[in-house]
Amino acid sequence: MEDYEEQEVEFWRKLEEEGMSRSSMLRRSIAAAAGLTVLSSPGIALASRFGGAAAPPLRGKTAGLKTIIANAKQEGKLNTIALPPDWANYGEILSTFKTKYGISITNDNPDGSSAQENQAIVSLKGDSRAPDVVDVSPGFAISGTRSDLYARYLNTNFGTIPNSMKDGRGYWTGDYWGAVSIGYNSNLVKTPPKTWQDLLKSDYKGKVALNGSPLTSGSAVAGVFAAALGNGGSLSDISPGIDFFAKLKSSGNFIPVQSTPQTVASGQTPISIDWDYLNLAYTKEFPSAGWKVVVPSDGVYGAYYCQAINANAPHPWAARLWEEFLYSDQGQLLWLKGYSHPARFQDMSKRNVIPKALLAALPAASIYAKVKFANSTQQTAAKAKIASDWPSKVGS
Amino acid sequence: MTLSAAVWLFLGIAYFLIPLVATFLFSLRAEPSGKCCHLKSYGFVVHNGDFWHTLRISFMLAIETIVISLAIFVPTVYWVHLKLPRLRPVIAFLALIPFVVPPIVLVIGLLNVYRGTPAWFYAKPWGILAAVYVILAFPYMFFALDAGFRSIDVHTLTEASQSLGASWPTTLFKVILPNIRVAALAGSFLALAIVMGEFTIANLSQFHTFPIFLQYVNETQAYPAAALTLLSFGITWAAMLSLLFVGRGRTSRPTLIAGGR
Amino acid sequence: MKSGRRRLPLAWIVTVPFFAYAVAFLFLPAGEVLAGAFKGVHGGWTLSNVTGLRHQPYLNAFKTSIEVSLVTALIGGIAGLGLAYAAIREGTPRAIRSALTTFSGVAANFGGIPLAFAFIATLGSIGIATQFMKNQLHIDIYAQNFTLFSKTGVEIVYLYFQIPLMILVIAPAIDGLKREWREAASNLGASAFQFWRHVGIPVLMPSILGAVILLFGNSFAAYATAYGLTSGAVSLVPILIGYYYTGNVLDNPHLAQAMAFGMFVVLALMMIAYIPLQRRAARWAK
Repeated sequence: MEDYEEQEVEFWRKLEEEGMSRSSMLRRSIAAAAGLTVLSSPGIALASRFGGAAAPPLRGKTAGLKTIIANAKQEGKLNTIALPPDWANYGEILSTFKTKYGISITNDNPDGSSAQENQAIVSLKGDSRAPDVVDVSPGFAISGTRSDLYARYLNTNFGTIPNSMKDGRGYWTGDYWGAVSIGYNSNLVKTPPKTWQDLLKSDYKGKVALNGSPLTSGSAVAGVFAAALGNGGSLSDISPGIDFFAKLKSSGNFIPVQSTPQTVASGQTPISIDWDYLNLAYTKEFPSAGWKVVVPSDGVYGAYYCQAINANAPHPWAARLWEEFLYSDQGQLLWLKGYSHPARFQDMSKRNVIPKALLAALPAASIYAKVKFANSTQQTAAKAKIASDWPSKVGS
Repeated sequence: MTLSAAVWLFLGIAYFLIPLVATFLFSLRAEPSGKCCHLKSYGFVVHNGDFWHTLRISFMLAIETIVISLAIFVPTVYWVHLKLPRLRPVIAFLALIPFVVPPIVLVIGLLNVYRGTPAWFYAKPWGILAAVYVILAFPYMFFALDAGFRSIDVHTLTEASQSLGASWPTTLFKVILPNIRVAALAGSFLALAIVMGEFTIANLSQFHTFPIFLQYVNETQAYPAAALTLLSFGITWAAMLSLLFVGRGRTSRPTLIAGGR
Repeated sequence: MKSGRRRLPLAWIVTVPFFAYAVAFLFLPAGEVLAGAFKGVHGGWTLSNVTGLRHQPYLNAFKTSIEVSLVTALIGGIAGLGLAYAAIREGTPRAIRSALTTFSGVAANFGGIPLAFAFIATLGSIGIATQFMKNQLHIDIYAQNFTLFSKTGVEIVYLYFQIPLMILVIAPAIDGLKREWREAASNLGASAFQFWRHVGIPVLMPSILGAVILLFGNSFAAYATAYGLTSGAVSLVPILIGYYYTGNVLDNPHLAQAMAFGMFVVLALMMIAYIPLQRRAARWAK
């Protein structure tokens, strides 16, 4: 049995062990039945539209890349959502895909949240504007799978993606990950911060900002997690992180401004706690700010995002071609160019296909080796803790 | 002009202009020096196809919203002032509901309720989006029109007009409308500004309007964002000035019926 | 007009298009939201969402929202009235009036990140006004514990769209304050203050009250600006609703709907207070 099929069996066995309640069981079967009827009709509709083109495949290897490309080109369009062009080099990824296959892309709501992406799948069901593919955080990937929003697809390189970063049945696959970093304006910040403890120094009064509030921004939650790791906490205990920010606030170092390209360029947020791929991109984008990035070695927290295909995608073949592209060496290296770690990083470095220049642009691999990812249980617990403690301890 | 008026105006102008000046100074910067003075950011905005495309969509949406709003609310408010004064507090109360239901929540409800409707309504901004913008403009339209109708003597005007043999439509268009012109224009200004500034609903229903473009540039660019802010401010202001001239040009001197007392 | 006809049914018919529109695009979606406030996560009806609102952080959010809205409504009302009157009445050139009303139209809807950024660029720690005050006037407001990222800061920024809104809504009423009354009053020997106290303000009062309520509602429902300014550090109800409805982190739509219900109650109370006040004011106006 191949790798992922084994996982599939395992997964179903685990699910049975959990022992679902009767009502959720009923709901799932109804949803599954509805899903089946829904899934069958686009297949028929597609067949009639393309005069005989087959239903979209489950496995990239079986269908063959040539068929996928041909059918995708016939569809001619791809709808993406919530892909900011300056986020991990998505801009170049989108334009490379467009030029390579001649398929036009409509990118909606570039700053949308994962919740909005799943919501769009639901509200635009049956509409030609519905997103074909989504890029969501793992929590929403899991809940989206549970709500039968996604189609199963195992791309050609599925096997080389680490097990911890994908759904064994093919509902979603992790695409890239990053670690929380501290970016700073070297013109305004004379003594560079190197660790989490450093940030408490009085030199940084009124200078430290997050990328939004942890009550709504995933990268801010990650910032609190990383601070927790750097202050004696763990993946199961985020309260040291919340306390750290409370200390930062009472000492006057923390400013509740969301760091954006504007605030970085203007110097309003001289120190920004944010994803490494975002901070590193600022270095190139704003040379006048003298932006430098450090991943604090006393607390390295990482998170990945997940690709999924809409179960009712208006352009199912284009959606699958998109995944094939993203997980090809070319696509993965484009993400690396955007300073993020692509999912197939280990596989590609084993095969020595990674250009040294790209690696050199990132902080040392030894720091990244320490990275910790939180699983969905830990995430849920952490978010609950933040929801109850953050407003009173840090918010005014 | 009295001294007090001059002082008020001076303070007001200072409060409103200084933040705009600060934005302007920032928009003149460019990399790699990060300092003044370049017009690169403005060039970036003006040469961006999306800028013109979304601007056009939002403008047309605004005109549509204004027309529908006036068509629905002017006769209603007129009628309420004329015949049904006890209905007025009810409608005033209803006018507060659009505030209570935040756009984020309203749009989800809207999309759920109207999902099965034909594509020309559901999938085009001229349908469902215009419909909800009329609702968003409703509080502002109502209170502006209400203030306007209060300041004229509706009963005398109507009776005079009717005793001269005019029908209801003639009364409404030729007698009442010119007299509440100021109020109707104020309401229209607000409707225009609302449409040019509304982000949440357009975003969640996946339409590409101008505020969407504005927000996107604000989140991803630094200096062009400031340039765009000022450009959009200027454009909306110019649109209002033209609305003003349209409103002024259409009417001759307001009829003297009101002044006859 | 034939007085023998039954007027009442005919009179109501004219309002039908309005009510039909309101039902279709306001009540139905709003009703779904308000009903959702009482639904539980697993279906079924429950009061727990709404009763949970009396705890922190929701209670704090409501208190802050109400306070900010009251302050900006009152200050905005007074400042807007003063500015509007200055521009419209006192022999001010027509151009200033047109400029002010059109500018107010734009400024009334200027918000979100652009407005927040404009004020950070002005009054932030390295803002131009802050620097000017520090270097030219030797007043360091940040040393005096002022910060833009506070409730006060939000109020200062909110006024940027509250004052223009007041100007726009009260302008027609001021127009109606007939010039002849002012002249007649001064002919009778009344000073400006007496005119305002006995004629001007009472006549304007119903419209002022309506406008202030509008300003309150406008501020209460606004959130993009406060979020852009303080990333939610100043806790306001619409911001919390946004978190629970479509954020990246929290997810509890029924709680969000319960908060919307709470907003509804606050505004309903406002309206209930408004009705007797307005009736009294209208009596003066006559």
